[in-house]
Amino acid sequence: MTIGLSLADARARHPNLVAVESAPMEEARLLERLCDWCSRFTPLAALDCADGLMLDISGVAHLFGGEEALIEDCRDRLAAQGFTVAAGVGGNPRAAWALARFSRVKIAPDPLSDKAFAKLFHDLPLAALGLDDKTVADLARAGLRRIGDIALRPRAPIAARFGPMPIARLDALKGLERSSIAPRFRPPDFCAERRFASPVQTFQAIEATLCKLADDLVVMLERQAKGARRIELELYRVDGDVRRIRVGASRPLNEARAIVRLIAERLASRDEEPIDAGYGVDLMRLACLAAEPLAPSQAELERAHEAERARALTELLDRLSARLGARAVTRRELIEAHLPEQAEAAAPATLGQARLRGENRHCQERSDEAIQRNAEPTTVSGLLRHSPSQTGVSRRPMARNDGLNGAPARPLRLFVRPEPIEALAEVPDGPPLRFRWRRVLHDIAAIEGPERIAAPWWRRVGAPTRDYFRAEDSEGRRFWLYREGLWGRETAQAKWFVHGVFG
Amino acid sequence: MSPGDRAEGMVRLRRAVAHIEAEAGPAGGRAARRMPLGRTLDAALGGGLADDGLHEIAPAEPQDGAAAMGFALALAARFLSRRPASALLIGEGFAAHEAGALYGPGLIAHGLPLSRLVFVHAPDAALAFWAMEEALKCGAPAAVVGEIWNLKGYSLAASRRLLLAARKGRTPALLILASAYGQAERLSSAAETRFEITAAPSVKPKAAAGRDLPGPFACGARLIKARLARAGPEAPLQAFDAKRVIRLEWRSQDNVFEELAFGDPAISLPVAAAAGDGPRAASQWR
Repeated sequence: MTIGLSLADARARHPNLVAVESAPMEEARLLERLCDWCSRFTPLAALDCADGLMLDISGVAHLFGGEEALIEDCRDRLAAQGFTVAAGVGGNPRAAWALARFSRVKIAPDPLSDKAFAKLFHDLPLAALGLDDKTVADLARAGLRRIGDIALRPRAPIAARFGPMPIARLDALKGLERSSIAPRFRPPDFCAERRFASPVQTFQAIEATLCKLADDLVVMLERQAKGARRIELELYRVDGDVRRIRVGASRPLNEARAIVRLIAERLASRDEEPIDAGYGVDLMRLACLAAEPLAPSQAELERAHEAERARALTELLDRLSARLGARAVTRRELIEAHLPEQAEAAAPATLGQARLRGENRHCQERSDEAIQRNAEPTTVSGLLRHSPSQTGVSRRPMARNDGLNGAPARPLRLFVRPEPIEALAEVPDGPPLRFRWRRVLHDIAAIEGPERIAAPWWRRVGAPTRDYFRAEDSEGRRFWLYREGLWGRETAQAKWFVHGVFG
Repeated sequence: MSPGDRAEGMVRLRRAVAHIEAEAGPAGGRAARRMPLGRTLDAALGGGLADDGLHEIAPAEPQDGAAAMGFALALAARFLSRRPASALLIGEGFAAHEAGALYGPGLIAHGLPLSRLVFVHAPDAALAFWAMEEALKCGAPAAVVGEIWNLKGYSLAASRRLLLAARKGRTPALLILASAYGQAERLSSAAETRFEITAAPSVKPKAAAGRDLPGPFACGARLIKARLARAGPEAPLQAFDAKRVIRLEWRSQDNVFEELAFGDPAISLPVAAAAGDGPRAASQWR
C-alpha cells in the first residue's frame, strides 16, 4: 500500500480495508491540541506542516534527564493517548525534521563533526531536505538521490541547474543558516510549575497547588519588583487535554492571595466551565503573561487612606470583571457625536489608564464648570447650548442643563432601539398632542422642541433627520420623543419614536 | 531589633494611625453619618439617610420605573458629593432592553459625574445581589445603586446580607425594586428605609407661546418604612407618616432636593435644612 493509491485498487488488494474520509480541519485542530499539550515540555512549541510538531528544547532536555529520556517520555505519553510518534532531535529544526522522518538514528550528537554529519545524513533521501516533489524528481532524473550526492558535489552547478533551494536547505541542515520556529504561544515572562508523580484528581489538591504556585510566582515577580497584569493557569491532563484559565488585573499584582482569588472568581463565572480533572492532572503551570513594574508605593501618609480605598476599588472591579466578564463592568465617557446613541462609549473598567485620565478630566471639568458658573450666573436658554467661546473647549457637547430652570437636556435612560409610538400632532411637522406607547395613552402637558439632529452627512450615513421633543405627560412622566424624517422633504408620513425617558 | 523595640514601634504606629483617622475621618465604630434630604423627610428619617444602610426604592406603578431610577440616582449624586470615590451602578443585563440603558449624557445632566461611575451588568438577579454585596463589603465606592427586576430571590435573608455588607463597608446601598410596583407596603425585608416613588409633574416654566416647557426632574416620594432604632434619641417619631406623599424636585446643579407642595407648583421655597451641606448649596443664597 502506498500513498496516492486509488481506493478501488486498495480495496482490490485488501478486501477488508476500512475507508474513513479525511477531515483536514479536524486533524489540524487535533494537532493544535497536541501542540498545546506539548508546551508541557517547552514553552516554544510550534506546528510543523500538517502532520508535525516542532519543539525548541534548547536548555530544557536536562530537566527530563537528557534528550533520549525526553523523547522516550514524550513518546510514552503520546502512545498512552493513542498516537504513534516518530521523533528526532537535531541541532537545528531542519536536522530534527530529517531525522524524525527519514532516519533510523533519532538523535544527532552535538556538536556535529563533518564526519558524523556525513554518517548521519549522507544516506538519507533528498526528500529529507524538505524539497518539493518536482525538485526531488528533477534531481532524481540527474541521478542525484541521496543527500550525499549533492553534498559532495560542487555547489554552483547544482544551484544553476536546480535553483537555490537544494543548496539552501543543505546549509540549513548543516546549521550554517539560522532558522527559527514560530511558537504558537509567546513564552511567558515568569512561570511557576509543579509536576506530579501521580496525577492529582481532587479539586482541593489543585487549589492547594495553585496557592503554592502563586507563592512561587510572586517571589519571582518580587525579585524584579514587578507585578502581574495577565495571568494564565494551565492544567495538563493525563489524557492530553490542556485547560487554560486567563485572568487580567487592572493593577500589577504581587500578592499570591489576590492572584488565587482572581482565578477562583474566574472559575466561578458562568462562561467558564468548571475544572474537570478527568483522569487526573499531572502538570500545573501558573504563568505571568504580562508583567509591569510596580508603581512606587504611596509615600504621603495623608493620602494613604484614599489610596487604600482606590486600591480596594481596583481589586473589587477586578473581582467583578473576573466573575461577570470584562465587558460587564465598564466606565463610560462622552464622545462628540451628533447622534445621541453614539454620544458615549463604554470601556472595560479594568483598563486602568483610561480611568485615571477620566478622573483627572473630571476634576478639570468641575473646576471649569465652577469658573463658568461664577462668571455667568445665568446662561441663556436655548437649544444651541454649545458655545465654545464660553467654555474655551468644545469637549462637552451636552451641557448639564438646558437653561434657566435646570431641566435636563438628555434622558436618564435611552432605549437601545427607539420604540415606535402612535402620535397625534396638530400639524404634520409640529409637536405631538398625545401619543400611545406600550398600549398606554399619554396626554402631553408640556413640551419643548424641536431639537433637530441629523445624521453626519459627511460620512454619507443617509439616515433621516430627527426632530427631538422633550415631553411631559399629565401624570408627570417625561419622555424624549422624536419624529423621523423631515416632513414633505424626506418623508411623507411622519414616524414617531420614543427614544428615552427622563424619569 | 529586640522584641521590646518592635512592640514599642507597633504601639507608636497604632497611635499614629489613630491620630490620622481622627483627622481624616472614617474610624472603626463611628455612628452612621446621615445625609439630609429635605425638611419633611429628614424629620421622619431622624436627620437624613444613613450612609451605611440599605435603602429600598420601589415604583408605585409600572410606568414609574424611570422616576424611581431618577430618585435613586439623585440620592447617589448626593452621596457622591460627599466622598471623592466612585459609585457603582449594578443592574440586570436585560433591563437595557426593557426599560432603556442608562445614558451617559443624561446622567451628567442629572448631576452625576460620569467619570466616577462604574456600570455593572449582571446576567441575573442572583449575580447582581452578589456584585452588590461584594461592592458594599469592600467599602471603596461612595454608593452602590442596584436595580433588580427579578425579586424571587430577594428575601429577608438576602436583604439582611446586603444590610450587613453595607454596615461592614460603611457604604450606602440604594436598591431599586423595579418590579415591586404596588407591593411596597407588603414586602418584608431588613432594609433601613423604603420609599415608594411616583412620577410627579415638574415645575414648568412658561413658554413664550403655546404649551409650557417641561421642568427639571421631580417625583413623589412616600416613605413607607424607616427604622428609627439606630437614629438616636433625638429622632422625632411623630414625624413619620407612611401615607404622606412628598413631592420633591431635584436641583441637579446644586445637588439638593427641594420639597414642593402638591397641586401648587407656584409655591416653592428652598429648604434650609437641605441646603446646609456643601459649598454649592451656599452659592444658591448669594
